[in-house]
Amino acid sequence: MIDVQHLSKNFDDLEVIKDVSFHINQGDIFGIIGQSGAGKSTLLRCLNGLEPYQKGTVIVDGHDVGNLSKKELNEVRKEMGMIFQSFNLLNRLNVYDNVALPLQFWKQKKNSPENKAKIEHLLDLVGLTDKAKSYPRELSGGQQQRVAIARALVLDPKILLCDEATSALDPMITKDILSLLLKINEEMGITIVVVTHQMEVVKQICNKVAFLKNGKILSVGKPEELFVAPNDEIQKFVGDDVEFLPKEGTNIKLFFTDTNSSSHTITELARALNIDFDICQGKLENFRAGIMGSLIINVKDEDKERVFHYLTEKEVLWEEI
Amino acid sequence: MSEIILEATYETLFMVIGSTFFAVVLGFIPAIVLTLTAPEGLRPNKVVYQILDVIVNVFRSFPFVILMVLVIPLTRAIAGKAIGTTAALVPLTISAIPFVARVLESSLRGVDPGLIEAAKSFGASDFQILRRVYLKEALPSILSGITLTMISIIGYSAMGGALGAGGLGDVAIRYGYQSYKMPYLIVTSIILIIIVQVIQSIGNYFYKKLS
Repeated sequence: MIDVQHLSKNFDDLEVIKDVSFHINQGDIFGIIGQSGAGKSTLLRCLNGLEPYQKGTVIVDGHDVGNLSKKELNEVRKEMGMIFQSFNLLNRLNVYDNVALPLQFWKQKKNSPENKAKIEHLLDLVGLTDKAKSYPRELSGGQQQRVAIARALVLDPKILLCDEATSALDPMITKDILSLLLKINEEMGITIVVVTHQMEVVKQICNKVAFLKNGKILSVGKPEELFVAPNDEIQKFVGDDVEFLPKEGTNIKLFFTDTNSSSHTITELARALNIDFDICQGKLENFRAGIMGSLIINVKDEDKERVFHYLTEKEVLWEEI
Repeated sequence: MSEIILEATYETLFMVIGSTFFAVVLGFIPAIVLTLTAPEGLRPNKVVYQILDVIVNVFRSFPFVILMVLVIPLTRAIAGKAIGTTAALVPLTISAIPFVARVLESSLRGVDPGLIEAAKSFGASDFQILRRVYLKEALPSILSGITLTMISIIGYSAMGGALGAGGLGDVAIRYGYQSYKMPYLIVTSIILIIIVQVIQSIGNYFYKKLS
């Protein structure tokens, strides 16, 4: 659906995107996560041509975004709805008219029976049927973002781009908006690209995530894998607690990226090898794909080879630390 | 006295409303060009922006009394004569155009860039963004700008006497100042204050209603 190859972009001398490549499949909820200034919003804007870029290619649904006339680019943008951190609703239009605005850009009547039904359906989807005549300033942040979502869907896009869409919202409202996005993805089959600095967002809805730092992609993969078994850079971003571990014996970290394996591995390990060990630290996290976690155990040095062998045999992800 | 004042009030209102109308119509064009060609505009163009910027500044810095004299040939060409109330519309309009251009430019550029970006992301053309986003969102601010323009034109129109245009300022100077008739000074001042107040109140009312 979206294919980015060797994308580079600079503002004058400053290179903000550096040789970035990734692929987004139809139906994905793809997260781009990174700290502020990492270039993630700029990267998102390269996807729909709001930002021009210097090197590489961005192919969206078969169109090369960098090589289109203004008119062709607008046609591609029609396929890509977008929502923003600050909602970006027109203050002087009521909710209905805000949702209808993109239709008017495409020379459609906002009050035709067909469009009226469509807008009402979308307002129903986002749960704002009774607010059609309200103005944005009368709505809460969460409600405004819902209007923005309805507006982004009114042209029947194949892709929805979300630029820090939940960053201005409190945790409860964020959760609601995320479930709405998930619903849109599952029920309407819309591919979603989410740019965020909130790990919760990625964990809850994304099935793929790219870590961006200083304009470079550190890694791309399933969030449960990247978060549960992070490499050093991601570890730094995630900012995990410093681990206080026993100095004696061997510390082994086990990763459970599949819920079925997690529950019994430890007890089975003890029974099968007939050894004792300590559990030093454990963590479970809720991901879209299920509950994932890690566990650190401390075994006696003389047992460690047997434990390694056992874990490898059982296909448990582990590392010695 | 009342007849003189009544006629002068009519002349002042004619000059103010007439020149505001023409200045707004004509000032919109440079305002839009400045907005579009500004660095963060829809069609950034350094050369066009800077040339227009300088022209607007030059015209704004002309003192009205001098401009009035300088444009006399133009006044004659447009109004058919160089003196009178109708003729005064020409210099008043010309002096107000750059003012309007600046005021409207700042209204238009005050529109949240996020809204422009959102419109672009839905595939809007530049013209549609101008019409449905810039003008729509900036309307309350544009109206306050027009109110401001009217009030400053009231000030300039007081100098209309120099062109034989009459008006309240002319009465105040001829009867009040030059002939020492205090009541004329007081009454014309009060009427001018009332006109300013009324225009400002109407402006505020619409600003509130629209925003």
